Parts: sequence; C-alpha cells; structure tokens
Amino acid sequence: MKLNQLLWASALISVSFACSDSGEEKPLGKYDNGILIMNEGNFGTNDGEVYHLNQNTEELLPNIFEAENLRPFAGLLEDIVLEADRLYLVANTGKVEIVNPADFKSLGAVSAELDQPRSLAVNGSKLFISDYGPYNASYATPDSYVAVVNGLDGGVVSKKIEVSNKPEDLFSHGNFIIVAGSEENKIEIIDATQEVVVSTIDLEASPKQFYAVGNVLWIYAVATDEVIFYTVNLSSLTLGNTYTVPVANATSRIAFDGDDEMYVLTSSGWPDYNDAVVNIDIEGSSATFTELMTGSGFYGIGYDHNLDQVYVSNSNGFQGNGTVTVLSETGSVVRTFEVGRGPSGFLIY
Amino acid sequence: MFLLLWAISFVAPSQNQDTVKLDQVEVYAPALDRFAQGQKVLSWEKAELNDYQGRSLGDILQEQSPVFVRQYGAGMIASPSFRGTSAGHTAVFWNGLPINSPSLGQSDLSILPISAIDQVSLQFGNAGALFGNEAIGGSIHLGTQTQFGKGFHAGISQQIGSFGMFNSSAFAGFSSKNFSSKTKVYREFSKNNFPYKDLGQHGTPEVKQDHAQFEQIGIVQDLAWNLNENNQLKTAFWWNKTNREVQPVIGSNTKDEQEDQAFRAVIDYFHFKEKSVWNLKTGFVRNEQTFNSSENNSTQYFIAGDWDHQISTKWASKLGARYTLTKGDLSTYQTDDDRIELYQSTKFLASENLSFALNLRQLVYSGTFAPFTPNLGMDWSFWNRNSQSLQLKTSIGKGFKVPTLNDRFWNPGGNPDLLPEESLSGEIGLTWIKTGNLNWTQGLTFYKMSVNNWIIWLPKGSFWTPENIKKVDNQGIEYQGSLDGSFGTWDWKLTTSYTYSKAVTTKGTDENDQSVSKQLPYTPQHQANAKIRIEKNGYSAIASTFYVGERSVTADNPRMMPSFQLFNFGLAYDKLEIGMLQVPLSFQINNVFDTDYQVLYLRAMPGRSFQFNLSITI
Repeated sequence: MKLNQLLWASALISVSFACSDSGEEKPLGKYDNGILIMNEGNFGTNDGEVYHLNQNTEELLPNIFEAENLRPFAGLLEDIVLEADRLYLVANTGKVEIVNPADFKSLGAVSAELDQPRSLAVNGSKLFISDYGPYNASYATPDSYVAVVNGLDGGVVSKKIEVSNKPEDLFSHGNFIIVAGSEENKIEIIDATQEVVVSTIDLEASPKQFYAVGNVLWIYAVATDEVIFYTVNLSSLTLGNTYTVPVANATSRIAFDGDDEMYVLTSSGWPDYNDAVVNIDIEGSSATFTELMTGSGFYGIGYDHNLDQVYVSNSNGFQGNGTVTVLSETGSVVRTFEVGRGPSGFLIY
Repeated sequence: MFLLLWAISFVAPSQNQDTVKLDQVEVYAPALDRFAQGQKVLSWEKAELNDYQGRSLGDILQEQSPVFVRQYGAGMIASPSFRGTSAGHTAVFWNGLPINSPSLGQSDLSILPISAIDQVSLQFGNAGALFGNEAIGGSIHLGTQTQFGKGFHAGISQQIGSFGMFNSSAFAGFSSKNFSSKTKVYREFSKNNFPYKDLGQHGTPEVKQDHAQFEQIGIVQDLAWNLNENNQLKTAFWWNKTNREVQPVIGSNTKDEQEDQAFRAVIDYFHFKEKSVWNLKTGFVRNEQTFNSSENNSTQYFIAGDWDHQISTKWASKLGARYTLTKGDLSTYQTDDDRIELYQSTKFLASENLSFALNLRQLVYSGTFAPFTPNLGMDWSFWNRNSQSLQLKTSIGKGFKVPTLNDRFWNPGGNPDLLPEESLSGEIGLTWIKTGNLNWTQGLTFYKMSVNNWIIWLPKGSFWTPENIKKVDNQGIEYQGSLDGSFGTWDWKLTTSYTYSKAVTTKGTDENDQSVSKQLPYTPQHQANAKIRIEKNGYSAIASTFYVGERSVTADNPRMMPSFQLFNFGLAYDKLEIGMLQVPLSFQINNVFDTDYQVLYLRAMPGRSFQFNLSITI
C-alpha cells in the first residue's frame, strides 16, 4: 500500500477503528472491498456480528463471521481494527477474534485474561489491547490496563500495563503505543519494548479517538459543552494546536472525511434525547459546524470517500435489527436499509 | 379464597342436614373447578409430581404441558409463556395467595421447587375475573395439602445425580381427627459443571460450565385445626432461599451472583354453614433479591374474605373482596402501593350436563381503576352414548395487568402514567372421552386473544422507559390426548400434546417497527410432548419426549433458533419394603441422546444426565 492510500484508509476508518501501518499488495478476497458494518449486538445476548456491503451494487451480506466460521461471534463487538493484514474483532465481553480480511476465516483469538477490551494496536509482533478491567462493586473500573500479547494471531496475555481508567483508542507509532485515557482526560504513552508507561499528557476533555495525517496525530476529545481537537507531533510526542468547537453533547462517535471535515454524533440526553449528525469543518485556526440531520437512536457513523457519502446507523432501541441511512455530504438522504443488531460503526476500504 | 376448601356435602347436599360434618371434609375442590366453566385446566397431583422430585416447576411445565418455558441456563431463571404471552402475563398463586414479585410482575419458576408443593394446576387463557391481575395468558396454582386422621407419617429422600446434583429432603406429619401438621425441609444443590461446546471460542472446544452453581434450601409448615364442627383454621408457611452463580451467556465471562429469598405465610379461617362457606384469609409474601450487591426487596400484606353460597340446586354464588398493601424497597426507589378488589362469581347449573359461570372483578390500585373484567363460560356435555361422551367448553372474557412497581417507579425511567394492559379472549374446546378396555381422552382447544396497551421498555438515550405501545394478537390450537389400557398384566398410559401458537405484534412502536405482523420473540409456533408409562407389580418405566419448534431471538425475527427435541427415561420400583419402612427407588436419565441445544440464544444447556432417587417412608 502506498502512503497516500494508507492515509486514506486511516482517514476513512470511522468510529474507533484504528489504522493500518503495514500491508502488502495481494489478490482481492471476497470482503477486501466495500464496507464492513460493525453490529455491536445486544447486552446479554452476545449477538454482535459483521455485515458486508458492496456500496456500488448495494449487495449486503449478513452475519459474515458466522457464515464463514460456522459458529456465532458470541460477543459484543466493540471495535474492528485492520492492521498487519489481519482484522481484529474486539469484543468487550472479553475476547479478540482475529480473521483474515479477505475471507473472514478465523486465524486465532485472544480469549483468556481479558475483561472488557475496547481497542487494539499492533507494534512489531505484539498486540496491545486497551481494556477497562473488571468492574468493582460500585461499577467503577479502577484496574484498567493495556494487555500485551506476543503474536499477531493471538495467544495468551503476557503482561497487563496499568493505565488510567477506561482506556479507549490506541495508536501505534514507532516504538510507542499512544493510549486515549478517557475517564481521567489523559494521553498515556507506552514504550512498546519495555511495556511500561513512559509519559502522560493531561487534556481538558475526554480523549476518544485518534486519527493520523502524515506526522500529525489528531485527538478527538469531548467535554459537555464542546469538543476539542488536539494535534500531537509524532516526532516529539508533544501537543501542538488545539481547536475548540462549541458542539454540545457530543458522543465518542466520529468519522473523518480526510479533508479537514469531521462528522460527529451528538445526543441531548434527558429528557428529549434528540440526536444529531454534526458536520465540523476546520480551516486554518477556526472551526465551524452545521447540523446535518436530527433524529433519535443514532449509534454509529462512517464516511465513504469513494462516493462522498456519510453513513449513519440507528440502533432502533436494540429491540431488533438496526438500520443504516446513507446521506450525501449536504445531508440529504440517499437510502436506508436494515443491518444487524446495534450497528455501531463502519470500516470503509 | 382461590383454592377454596370445599365440603363434599355441598356437592350432594342432603335435605335435612343442619351442619356440614367436618370429618367428611376430605375432598378439596379449588375455585378453579367450581367457577371455571369453559376454562381449560390441567392438574398434577402428588403422584405425578413425584416423577419431578428434585426438579423445578419450570421443568414439569416445559416437559408436560403446552407452556413454553424460557430458560436462561441450567437452574437459571425460567419464565413461563402461556399461549404466546410473556411471563408477566401469568398469575402464580400459592395456597390462594398471589406470589408474583410485585416489582417484576412475574415469577421465576426455577426457584419454585416441586419438593415444596403437593399439587399444581394450570389454567389457560384470560381469567382476570376469576384470578385478577396478570391472569392473561394463564395462571399457575400451587398448593400444599392438608389431611386429617392419618396418624404419624414421615420420610426422607435423597437424590444423587450428574454435575454434582445432591438433593435431600425430609418430611414428618401427624394428623388426628381435628388436628393436622406437616413439616417439610429440603436442600437442593447442583454444581452444574456440565460440559458444553464453547461456541464463543476459536476451535469451539468442549469446556465445563464453571459458574452455574445452584443451592436452594427451604422449609414448609402446614397446620390445620378443626375447631369444631363448623369452623376450621388452616395455616401454611414457606421459606425458600436460593443462592446461584448466574450462568454467563456463551462468550461472556461474567461472575454475577444472585440470592433469592422468599417468606410466604397464609392463614385461612373457614366457617361452614348449611349452604355456604365463609373464608377469611390473611397472608404475607416477602421477596428479597440480591444481585451482586444490589438489593431489591418487597413485602405484600393481604387480607381477604369471601362468601360462597349454594343458593339452590341450580345456582351458586361467591362474593369476595381483597385488600393488598405492597411495600417496595428497591435499589433505586421506595414505594407503597395499595389495592382493593371486589369479585363476584355466579354458577348456573341448567341441567346435569350444562353449566354456566359468570365471573366479575373490579380492582382499584393506588386510586386508579383497572379495567373491569367480566368472564362468561360454559361447560356442556352434549353427547353421551354408552361409554362415550363429548364435552364442549367455551368462554369469553377479559384480563388485565397493572403496571409493575418497576414499570411505574424505577429510577430513572419509571413511568407513573402507564395504563394497565388489557386483554380480550375467547376459546372453544371439545373433548371426546371413551371408556372401556382402552380409555381415550382426546381434546382440542382453539383460542383467540388480543392484548392492548402491551407495556414495552424502550431506550431513550441512556435511560430505558416503559410505554403502553404494542398490541399483540394471539391465536392457536392446543391438542391434548391420553390413552390407557392393559397388556396382559402390564398397565400402560400414553399422554400426548401438541400446541400451535401464533402470537404476532399488530401495532408496533412506530411505522418503521419491523416487528409488526411477526411472531413474538422466543415464542415457538409448534410445541409437542409425549409420555408413555408402563407399570407392573410396583415396577414402572417412563419414556418421555418434548419438542420445541423454531423461535426468534428478537421481535423482528432475523435470527431463528433451531428447534430441538429431548428424550427422558426413567425406571422405578415402589414396592420395596424393609420392615415397616417403604423404600421406593427410582433412576432416571434426562436428555438421553445427549442432544446439544439452547432454549435461549447462547445459553448453554446440559447434555445427558443421570439421577438416582432413594426414599424411605414410614
């Protein structure tokens, strides 16, 4: 993959999809093109699954993990990460399933010693998995960690590196793993060789997602009344610019169009629960935002740069299957279709 | 009041009798029989329940009745679904006290052990007028039995089985002409470390369930006094405590623990007059549930009275009232709720073969009127020839469900403005009976029902809140058959049943609701069971099977669970005597063919298991 393609890929991977920093050319498999729709599944039912969409023919293949592996996914699908020619399906019910992106056949898993894994990053031949750790009696997670697994096809957890509460997205760069510490508003930097936290950066908002462009890492962080975008210089691993945008009630869900525009889901909460898709445009040192669509039950967002379309998923209250609405860049509805239970994000190649 | 003790003299009242002779009071006929004309009823007595010793009410309902039981694993929550309705549409009574949890509005059948019960009756369909709140899909009536003049008797029973099953129970009873006491204690334990295929793991290895241990202990005490010829006092007390490791759904490694404790007590006073019986009843039910560290407790106090009056040979009437005070102390709210209900039942015996019942009930909860519920039923034995007869049962009626305490007060999300659910149903059933060398009973029932204002919890952002949204229509056919006879010196009996149930959402949450016109989740359209029992000289063998058809995981039906059929087999010998002691022995195999199945999605269930039962009674 060329660097340019790589940047596109990373730009287009929405929600908490981490990006790929390695990869080789090879024949395309059944699922190598198109859009993977991540369906989180329902709490207590563990019916998370992946759907595949060919956005040109509109052909939709349901439950592709079960179809290709003849067993249910049996977990709540929190994140899908494409790295090292593998798809890592992270289930917050306590496992990571590893499949071949071309045919979705199982390659391995990390199934023991994890509690509530959230995301994953690859560094060399090691997997780093962010994990909330177990709940304590008051449903807090004081024992959050990043788990280390030696081997790209899974295996046993060799070490748990203690980090701040509720780590979310991870980003691998050089010899470092950068951790979004969402509860304590921190960025923690792990030395991938020594497997220890070597430095931390304090933020004014809760970091949710990373997004790399060239030598700059963007951090999407959320506060009650605003969202903050930080940049990190990847050479020095220090904070650069800060962009504060007065978008209230933003959720962790964001999609990047790769061209300074982002799409964020917001939710007003009690008592009205008005959800919205907000388009944020950063130009120079200023940021503007516009509401693209409003509704209720929005649960995931993605951006397809091939057709310049925004994908918004709706959980429909987890009562049954969710739906996906495709929007043009200006917010007009292109079409709506049914997907799996609790659709929460998209991986768009 | 519901399982009303009824004097035999009433059935055949003698002309010049002033008082009922209490030593004749041995026949117990519940209101279920007296005013349930037109209703389908299925009952099991002690002998039939014996085959289910050491198991729960959920097991017998699943294997021997048209009820579908949603089981969350071995020994885990088991909730009944009568005629395609939900667990919250089933009223459950113990000695006439409603025992559904007032906060959840339902009962967990897995913690109602058969060991504690002497008789079980199931009533199908709407019976809001006869039984009140929540009797929409049907009702379950559990009871203990009182006997007089039987002297001393006692026994112990021990069961040992697969997956660490170790159940012990003992009882002792004494009864004279005017006093009766019976005490039962039991402990049921299972490690539940059954092997299953872990579908959630790469390579689907066979693993042992390691978090489903079940322990239950309890005591039941029955007392009764014939105070004099006209007055009787009966009490019953039941304490049951269950500690469970909650079996995780496949793919999760949760370590939840749940403790359920229930105290139930009832006192009945009966006053028998020439043609009537007065019953005063008081009782309380306390439920304490601890899930991990979250506690949910409730206490209900009942006081009720009714007057059952034989007006003439053709007319009978019952008039009653009940007051219920509920105190809820839940993890997120505290509340009180009071209810008053008045009910009236009239029976008209047009002829020996034709009878009608009209039942009426009005309940008021916390000052709000629940829907008025009438019910009209008829039993008509319209054709009798020699050894054959045909009986028609038909009824039409209404039912209701008051929103549960959680529905109204759960914080956050509880909705105090909810309306009661309201149902309307009708059924017609035909039974053919033939006696002779072969005894046949074949019955077919057709029912139709609709439930309006169906309460459903929907997410609103980070909260869930209940709303009166759905409308559900149910209809179906229930077939029930039995055939018995002799083959040489062998006696045999075959029982069969089949149920077709169509329960569809007719009004959804909004115009995009994909559940409209689809079958409700976890509601099989087809269900069947069969059991054959052969007996000779105290030896008996039982083979049984039950089939559960496909059912969906969610209301919009994209994912279907495969159907399954299980077989059980048992052998028993009940004539072994050692001195004065009787020592019945039995052995059974459940899931004989080691079938891999799930009732609910990704809830592992045990394969083949063995169970050995030994009892000693005097």
